[in-house]
Amino acid sequence: MIGTASRRLPAQTGELVDRSRPLTFRWDGRDYEGLQGDTIVSALLAGGVDVFSRSFKYSRPRGVLSATFVDPGCTVQVDAEPNVRAAHRRLAAGMDVRPQNVWPSLRFDVKAANGLVGRFLTAGFYYKTFIKPQRLWPAYQQVLSRFASGGVTSRQNVHGYYDKRYVHVDVVVAGAGPAGLAAAVAAADAGCSVLLVEEEYELGGHLRYSGEASLSMLSELRAQVAARPSIEVMTDSVVTGRYDDNWVAVMQRDVGGAIERLVKVRAGVLVAAPGLIERPYVFAGNDLPGVMLSTAVRRLINLYAVKPGERAVVLTANADGDAAAADLTRVGVDVVRVLDGRAGETIRRATGRGRLQAVELEDGTVLPADLLVTATGWTAPTSLINMAGDRPVWNPTAARFVPSGDGLPPTVLATGGLVGDGSTEELIAHGRAVGALAGDRAEGRAGGSVPELAGEPHPAMFRASTHGFVDFSEDVSSKDVVAAAKEGYDSSELVKRFTTATMGPSQGKLETINTIAVLSEATGRGIEDLGTTVWRPPYAPISLGALAGRVFEPTRVSPMQSWHEEHGAVPLLAGQWIRPDHYGAAAEEARNVRENVGIIDVTPLGKLALSGPDVPKLLNLVYVNKWSKLAVGSVRYGVMCAEDGVVMDDGVTGRLDEHRYLMSTTSSGAATVWEWLENWLQTAHTDWQVHVTPVTTAYASINVAGPKSRQLMQRVVEGVDLSTEAFGYMKVRQGRIAGVDDCVMWRIGFTGELSYEMHVPASYGLHVWEALLEAGDDLGIQAFGVEAQRILRLEKGHLIVAQDTDGLTRAHSAGLGGMVKLDKDDFAGKPELAWHERDALATAPRLVALQPEDPSAVPPEASQIITADGGILGRITSSRMSPTLGHGICLAQVDPAVAAPGTVVTIRLPSGSDITATVREDLAFVDPEGVRLRA
Amino acid sequence: MWTRKGCVCVPETWTPVARSAITVPGPRSVVDGWEVSTRRSSAALRLSDASPLAKVSVRADPDGALAHALGVRFRSSHRRDGILVVGSGPGEWLLVGGVGAAHQIAEQVRGLAAGDFVTAIDVTHGRALMRLTGRDASRALSKVCAVDLSDAVTPEGAAFRTSVAKLTTDVVRDDAGAGTGEPSYLLHCERSSGQYLFECLLDAGMEFGVEPSGPTVDGGGA
Repeated sequence: MIGTASRRLPAQTGELVDRSRPLTFRWDGRDYEGLQGDTIVSALLAGGVDVFSRSFKYSRPRGVLSATFVDPGCTVQVDAEPNVRAAHRRLAAGMDVRPQNVWPSLRFDVKAANGLVGRFLTAGFYYKTFIKPQRLWPAYQQVLSRFASGGVTSRQNVHGYYDKRYVHVDVVVAGAGPAGLAAAVAAADAGCSVLLVEEEYELGGHLRYSGEASLSMLSELRAQVAARPSIEVMTDSVVTGRYDDNWVAVMQRDVGGAIERLVKVRAGVLVAAPGLIERPYVFAGNDLPGVMLSTAVRRLINLYAVKPGERAVVLTANADGDAAAADLTRVGVDVVRVLDGRAGETIRRATGRGRLQAVELEDGTVLPADLLVTATGWTAPTSLINMAGDRPVWNPTAARFVPSGDGLPPTVLATGGLVGDGSTEELIAHGRAVGALAGDRAEGRAGGSVPELAGEPHPAMFRASTHGFVDFSEDVSSKDVVAAAKEGYDSSELVKRFTTATMGPSQGKLETINTIAVLSEATGRGIEDLGTTVWRPPYAPISLGALAGRVFEPTRVSPMQSWHEEHGAVPLLAGQWIRPDHYGAAAEEARNVRENVGIIDVTPLGKLALSGPDVPKLLNLVYVNKWSKLAVGSVRYGVMCAEDGVVMDDGVTGRLDEHRYLMSTTSSGAATVWEWLENWLQTAHTDWQVHVTPVTTAYASINVAGPKSRQLMQRVVEGVDLSTEAFGYMKVRQGRIAGVDDCVMWRIGFTGELSYEMHVPASYGLHVWEALLEAGDDLGIQAFGVEAQRILRLEKGHLIVAQDTDGLTRAHSAGLGGMVKLDKDDFAGKPELAWHERDALATAPRLVALQPEDPSAVPPEASQIITADGGILGRITSSRMSPTLGHGICLAQVDPAVAAPGTVVTIRLPSGSDITATVREDLAFVDPEGVRLRA
Repeated sequence: MWTRKGCVCVPETWTPVARSAITVPGPRSVVDGWEVSTRRSSAALRLSDASPLAKVSVRADPDGALAHALGVRFRSSHRRDGILVVGSGPGEWLLVGGVGAAHQIAEQVRGLAAGDFVTAIDVTHGRALMRLTGRDASRALSKVCAVDLSDAVTPEGAAFRTSVAKLTTDVVRDDAGAGTGEPSYLLHCERSSGQYLFECLLDAGMEFGVEPSGPTVDGGGA
């Protein structure tokens, strides 16, 4: 059934709805029709719906109160999105809108029974009742979760698209009412870039719904904004916080494909112009659907052409209330009584079952009505200036808190209703002056003066003679506040925490002053003494998705990545690098290297180009071994230790010509070593002539390994004699590979086989890789991945820094003691290593190779080596099944007591069972003499 | 021309093909030894791969003869004889020139050294280079880069190393290089993350209708 548009008024001047564009949507399982430009709530009201939710604690039916974003009764679920502010959100065709926090339905909610026992559910009931006995908490939690509000999210929901943006701007104006608009224009005219942020979908604030004169002033202001390209306008956006140094957070909704965008703004000057929020009145029945604020009524009539009721009582203490009464009369609502708060008139209570039916006056008169409009005062949302250091003060004349003016940095200014009252012309004049001042301050000028904007006298009306709700979000009544005061919670901060008043979704925007006023009444202390609670960011809710933004996780791939993917490589994430772990069968890949020839992509290997006459000095400083005599055409293995003698990296460095070297590092250590070298050069040895250029990704690195690798190389390498005599082990050559010039190749052997590591200009990586595979087809060539390489190097007994060593492993404990040359003048870690060699060798752990006695046993890495009584003697650092030898092979860090070759040690497995293994003579299991790699 | 080496046929002369780290959709062809996408976009915002351009990393005394000859300080850039000279760090420059010109540029630099200790290294293959051009270029970039992109802070020629989409990236404001009168940024990063950065920029530019474009390999793209 399509809901009838019985409450839609004829066209209103300034209305936002487009009558030529009807939209169909669903509410609570039924079809309704609204208009383009409607909010969800205005469309539903027009369609005859006036209950949108059930309240948090007592499950009372709730309707429209303020018709703004913060309206506490208008939170709904839209499709998969919970907690949509339906009095703000624009209607879209096909929306499936449902009430939330109802059980089983909006019409009949069993939790409403809470209302019957409400006098037992006083403030603090929850804290006091559910704390004991603690073991029952899981049961309590089950029941309480039924009562928690907040809609539903599904695990099936697709992750929404959220992003961020950075903005640097001279002036941010928060709020685009008359003062904010004028401030933005004036700041732009002062030569500034301006960001104008407005929570509503259009600029103008209250000018949008305040009659024809206001609309004509608004169109003039809008034209001025539009004519200034230096003003960027963000609507449906809100400044959620102001942080140190004018870091301003803006939440922009529904922009650029994103659901929400967090805009991080660095502003020269922030102008807070949020206007005023109308404050509800406290009386019995003040939450009945049909009780509305005057600004809600004016919005509904003038912006959405919705008739809010048929028979109205108006309680007005200000001009806006008077205007609401006039609007109602104009559109044909029967205004049965207007009560003037300025003359001391008020109401006693509102009554009705599920909806307002009558209003009872102080003299006992009962007026049947379906609409009660209140206009009893304002709240100045002082959030942003509060965050900037201002503590608002009570202005008894205007009956609201206003900025004190103290404590604000010169880069934060305020204008408009936040500051004081005035005619639209006065607000515009104030805004203009503040905007000009903001422009001056942003440009570093002193700036002129700003006219006074005093608070207009307003009667202090907070509560009628009856008790009602002070907080509609949390269902806190004035009675609760009085009870809390009697229990001793007699300050505004304490009463807030005890009753939870102001802690709901509207965050005090509607509730703060009434709570403090009732507390003042209960304690006899003045509101000015009690003060207001501190407003903290965020001013408006921010979704977690928006805080996260896009998920940026940089990844790195080699030039051969496309080939790996096409050939079924199983990816391994190593730091940021995506590498092929294997192509299906790692053991088979390893076997092929031992028997034929394999190629592995080792591009992530860190590479640094070193140049200059003082490179040997640098190498002698950072490596523990000697480098002075490295000849052109040779490479050497080196170990780097930190100042504490702990192994930090290893790799080979080759001398390409007189003053040019190529250093390789571990894949994970590339950045650290680069910084390490630069640190020494830029601090300790600024006189050395050495340049370090990171070239890790300038080269695609390929290791060709296996007994047939020379044969393969001969088919692709030009200009280099590959014979053993001409190009021996630990030598480096430069030449052309598969037609690619400027390649570096060196003979080293991490796998223990005859192998060549080639570094080719990266853009040709894929070309060379494919050329090798083509040329080696008849040699049984196969690509191998990281896992096969790990097996091969373990068979050869080569350690991996940071796997077979840890943050305490000094060179000697890694089996590298023989490389430490203490007769060198100096090198990083020398004093510690000298001490270690002299005093600590007997007690320091050692790296040993272990062979489990059970040939099928492969103890998991990190398994402990234990004594007979369970004491720890070491741990397994590397462990694999050797496809070459057919038994398990391990490296381990062990206590020197069990490091002697032939010692049998006990390994405790994670399962709790023990196995035994023997310490071997040599770290290498395969070819300890190095015959194969020197072939 | 194929010849027998061992048991298989391998080409007598190989024809090397260079490939960028960035994959641009569209038909491909080999131009100047580079396999490139021939796709050319005329969208209001374009992201083009400029990786084939020659890139030379130069290190020298920031106050020495070469620094003086290059005439470019850290954080700025200028173009001379078709070569873009970028002051990418104190005593560190990146020179960008036409495809295949790296050796020639490095030689030129060494020639300007006048006895200074100077290092010039071809990093053409070590860097991914891309260009974001269009009226909304700075708005798109500001979604992934926190630096103030206004004319006052980063005018034409400004060069800076910063985080772009959490990746260390060198950025050059280079409207002149685009030659269209529109704002344009050259971005370069480690080759291994080129595709990542390219995709992040496409994502950021989506709301402005960004389109990817193949490399300009005629040297005019620098």
